[in-house]
Amino acid sequence: MEGAYDEIISDNPFFIQFKNEYSNLLQHCISQSWIICVPRIGSLNTRVFTVEDFCAHVLVPSDELPETHYSTLTEKQVTVANKVITLEVTKGLPLQSHILFEETFYTEDYIKYKVWCVETPLEPNTNVGDCAITKDYLLSINDCIDLLWTQAAGRQVLDQIELNVQQFLKKHSPLPIALAPLRDAISELYTQCLQSTLQNRRLREKCKVSKHLLENIKLSVECYMQHLLFDSLFKPICTICAYEDSHLNKKIRNMCDIQLRDLDIKKELYHAVPKAKQILSKIVTYNTVLEKVLCLKQALNAINKKDNSNNVVLLTADDLLPVFVFLLIKSSIPNWYSQLKYMKEFRFSEVGNGDCDESAFLITTLEAVIEHIQSGALAGPPNPESYYYESNLTEDNLNDNGQRKNSLTESISTCDTNSREETLEYVFDLIKANNSEQVQYLLEKNQRHLQSLQQNERSAVKFAENQDDDDDEDDDEEYETEIYQKLCHPLCSCKKCCSKISKNLLKTSPTVSSRDSHGLTPLHIASIHGKANIVEILIDMGAKINATDLNECTPLHYAASRGHQNALLLLLHSGASINQANIDKNTPLHLAVNNGHMNCIKALIYFAEHGRKNLKINCTNEHGNTPLHLAAKWGYEGIAKLLIENGAEPSLQNHNNKTAFDYAHNLKILQVLKLSTPNLYEYIHITSTEVKTLNCKTDNPVTLKLQSLKTRNNETNNVTKTVENLKRLERIFQAISYGDVKLACFYMNIKYENYANTNITTDRLSCHPLCECQLCKKTHQTISDYDINFADSNGLTALHYAARYGLDELCKILLLNNANINSSNRKGQTPLHLAALNNKIMVIRFLLDNGANINAIDLSGNTPLHDACEVGNIGATKMLLNYNPNLNMINGSEKSAIEVAKEKLHLTIIDLIEKHTNKIK
Amino acid sequence: MSSAPSGTHNFKVVLLGEGCVGKTSILLRYIEDKFNDKHLTTLQATFLNKKLNINGKRINLSIWDTAGQEKFHALGPIYYRNSNGAILVYDITDEDSFGKVKNWVKELKKMLGSDIVLVIAGNKVDLEHERTVPLEEAESYAKMVGAKHFYTSAKLNQGVEELFLELTREMVERFEQNSQTEVNRTSRVLVVEDEAPTQSSCCSGSRSN
Ligand SMILES: Nc1nc2c(ncn2[C@@H]2O[C@H](COP(=O)(O)OP(=O)(O)O)[C@@H](O)[C@H]2O)c(=O)[nH]1
Ligand SMILES: [Mg+2]
Repeated sequence: MEGAYDEIISDNPFFIQFKNEYSNLLQHCISQSWIICVPRIGSLNTRVFTVEDFCAHVLVPSDELPETHYSTLTEKQVTVANKVITLEVTKGLPLQSHILFEETFYTEDYIKYKVWCVETPLEPNTNVGDCAITKDYLLSINDCIDLLWTQAAGRQVLDQIELNVQQFLKKHSPLPIALAPLRDAISELYTQCLQSTLQNRRLREKCKVSKHLLENIKLSVECYMQHLLFDSLFKPICTICAYEDSHLNKKIRNMCDIQLRDLDIKKELYHAVPKAKQILSKIVTYNTVLEKVLCLKQALNAINKKDNSNNVVLLTADDLLPVFVFLLIKSSIPNWYSQLKYMKEFRFSEVGNGDCDESAFLITTLEAVIEHIQSGALAGPPNPESYYYESNLTEDNLNDNGQRKNSLTESISTCDTNSREETLEYVFDLIKANNSEQVQYLLEKNQRHLQSLQQNERSAVKFAENQDDDDDEDDDEEYETEIYQKLCHPLCSCKKCCSKISKNLLKTSPTVSSRDSHGLTPLHIASIHGKANIVEILIDMGAKINATDLNECTPLHYAASRGHQNALLLLLHSGASINQANIDKNTPLHLAVNNGHMNCIKALIYFAEHGRKNLKINCTNEHGNTPLHLAAKWGYEGIAKLLIENGAEPSLQNHNNKTAFDYAHNLKILQVLKLSTPNLYEYIHITSTEVKTLNCKTDNPVTLKLQSLKTRNNETNNVTKTVENLKRLERIFQAISYGDVKLACFYMNIKYENYANTNITTDRLSCHPLCECQLCKKTHQTISDYDINFADSNGLTALHYAARYGLDELCKILLLNNANINSSNRKGQTPLHLAALNNKIMVIRFLLDNGANINAIDLSGNTPLHDACEVGNIGATKMLLNYNPNLNMINGSEKSAIEVAKEKLHLTIIDLIEKHTNKIK
Repeated sequence: MSSAPSGTHNFKVVLLGEGCVGKTSILLRYIEDKFNDKHLTTLQATFLNKKLNINGKRINLSIWDTAGQEKFHALGPIYYRNSNGAILVYDITDEDSFGKVKNWVKELKKMLGSDIVLVIAGNKVDLEHERTVPLEEAESYAKMVGAKHFYTSAKLNQGVEELFLELTREMVERFEQNSQTEVNRTSRVLVVEDEAPTQSSCCSGSRSN
């Protein structure tokens, strides 16, 4: 492919002499359409050629087999196969020569003749020139390194390129995250690398002789450069393409259960698809454009048709695109767009060829395929039920499918026959057509009928039992197979027999709880197609909410994976189990994330929060992947953010020991995982009703305290509640560490807006202990729902955190919600200790103004002042001193605060304390 | 295949037309890869390179076949961009396919202007008795839009060679006109003039287009 041999025939000395000195012979050959072979330049020592030499290189097609058998004008027999000329010689082995290329010449009067450029002369005993042809094709980075190494006789060229790349990376760190500047920078680097390569005298001399070599050197330099750059270069490219990739992924994920026949791919090609898929999936392992393009080529070459006699038939453009589309969808590579951009924009050595080489064709084809998927021109996601229906058909009767489908759709429109109505398939079609009335009518009718029949049967059985004791209640299973044996007589029409037969018939008459052979119920179908109104009807009719099909998928799974938010919410509200795993251990959340349905993810989270359901956000599927793994892999930034804000943990490992970080293939998603600044308000519409700031005051602190005490007692008994609180605390702490007061409040169920303008000194009293006004209600709820003084395993409360991160605003809010100002953690530290340690002056002041114990000691006997002195926090020390701490307190090591400061040589602090002591005196 | 020494024109040609008019057949007929019988890679029915030498001018044709199905029509621009020539094929026994050619001509003229050389091929002339596209209509239409018109039969190997030869000659002509009138213009086809393997001339890393 790349770097195939080429030369200018008209510059070839052999050809020039032939033309100039034996033009008559040449004219004759041309008029006879004989083929002229020209040994490649350098394969013959320059000398004067004789007429025999020329005659030995003219091939005359034989009469019987003009395509493969020839004779030369020197009467030698020649055969041609697989681009190789074989010449019979009188003694010794036959002589062989490769055809390097064919060129079709036209004379001035447009007479055509062909010239084959051959690797070696077609004469025995000719002196073969010294300049042996270099490797014809460069197929891998190893070939490239090999070429540069051998041609320069050492690794100096490679070293030079390496040096260039290193310098480049140093200079351009970080690489620009925009395509044009990035490409220009790399292009410049390529030029630089090539220049330094050609400074190698040996290489330069050789390239002067062989243009072919020069081309290959260029390509090798490019490849080696790409090889060295790849790790630094590809992430920025992926980042540039993050948006396109995530959109493409969403499209692809939603089509991922597509089948070959959905794309009109010819049956003859089916057999080759797995192989091609396997080859194509390796594209991510290659670093150079050369190898990536080659991978595309091999994948497509693996797809070949066989005719009846097992000969390979050519793959045409009509087959190529659909197969390629299929391969791409099935490849599960998360960054096709980036791969394309890399291949398209970062080839520099092919300058001047326009789009005229095979690589350009392959890359363009990839582009077309991506465009095709992206454009949505493909029919939407295939329906699992249609797949189920057809999946058990053999290839032989696949042809009938078209017909089948037609007749199905026809039946919807005509809606005529009774027998049709008796099938579940028909009901499914009605659901798809959103014909809710008909669905309801039909299912209810059948239900009633079935009920009445069951009643009849029961009485009939009773009646029969009276007469005949050995006729037992029939087992359902036996019923079908042996029904006719159970009748009094095959043609009997007694009441009992009639009911038996009609019940049997009704087994096929669809009701709301009927299932098809793959376990799909009408509710599944309605969920798959997002027919919310039918979902509602079916639920009202008593459909089983958590019915599972053969893949153990519930309707909720389908609604989530298809992105039908309304259907999903209806199912959730009717008690669908939110964490149900299917056969692959995927929960509905997994499926919604995998297919990029933000709306459904929001709905799941929202419902879980409000319905007090525990949505397992870090649930793992069969491969150990959490939803966040999937979001990271497919590059869904918004979804990843949302998951993290709701407690998804990016550092969990799947069964391949990979975390979500490992799957993040661009910097954008990585950034989301690393420092997702939670801002929940964007995503979830929590505000059910705007709470009006009424003219009411807070509850009586005493009642509140009592309440809080009560709830705390309840909670300690309730282990799960504690676990939940711990999780929640984690989120709160995270929010606090980001400095997001609003979010922290949200997690604690505190209405931030109510406090936003609160002046701390205002005495807030409850309107009345039993006041039901919004604000009071809200506060009540808060207390009962989340214990503000709940501490994690280190004994840290929200107030500790707020103090540590210096959020005085949050401290205010927490105190207003009855946070314990002097609560101590496991080391005995109060919030004031932490504020002092972290030099949070505003918090120190606020805490001390509101009754914090300035002389509180932790387990090692340190007061906040000790701590401030120890770490040398001047501001904190100043502020603490304003509140007259006891300067004589000594800690566990028998040291006062000033002694600590002296020990640490914090001169300013020593000075401050001394001054203060003097002042007091 | 890709390396192009000095003085070689690289031309890209696309085959466009409705499905089943014979695009692929024409392409395969033109290539008649004799020495390559069993060695054909499967891709070679969709993309082919052919080296020509017309009056001492070297031309490297790369011919791209396209899918005819309507659902892939929107992908046209991706395929024909950067083309120097287009062969618009219709089936003389199928009037709709001629209508399709007219659409392609409109689209190509709009998107590529006069940068692209168009030829129209009425294929399957061996089925002359079933002709539904009137001879005069096709020819006058071609004349009107400035495209050469050819009658071909991939089956009988008629007109195919002439079609490509004429297209190539016109592309060379068009190219030479363009490079005369607009010397400074970056052309889609880059002819590397007498490139010597010295540092200065061979190292231009910038893309031509
Ligand atoms: N009679 C006749 N049939 C042809 C000719 N060219 C192609 N066909 C047939 O037309 C059908 C479609 O040809 P194909 O090359 O696949 O068309 P494409 O879809 O445009 O590539 C095939 O059955 C060919 O055998 C021709 O010149 N004459
Ligand atoms: Mg075709």
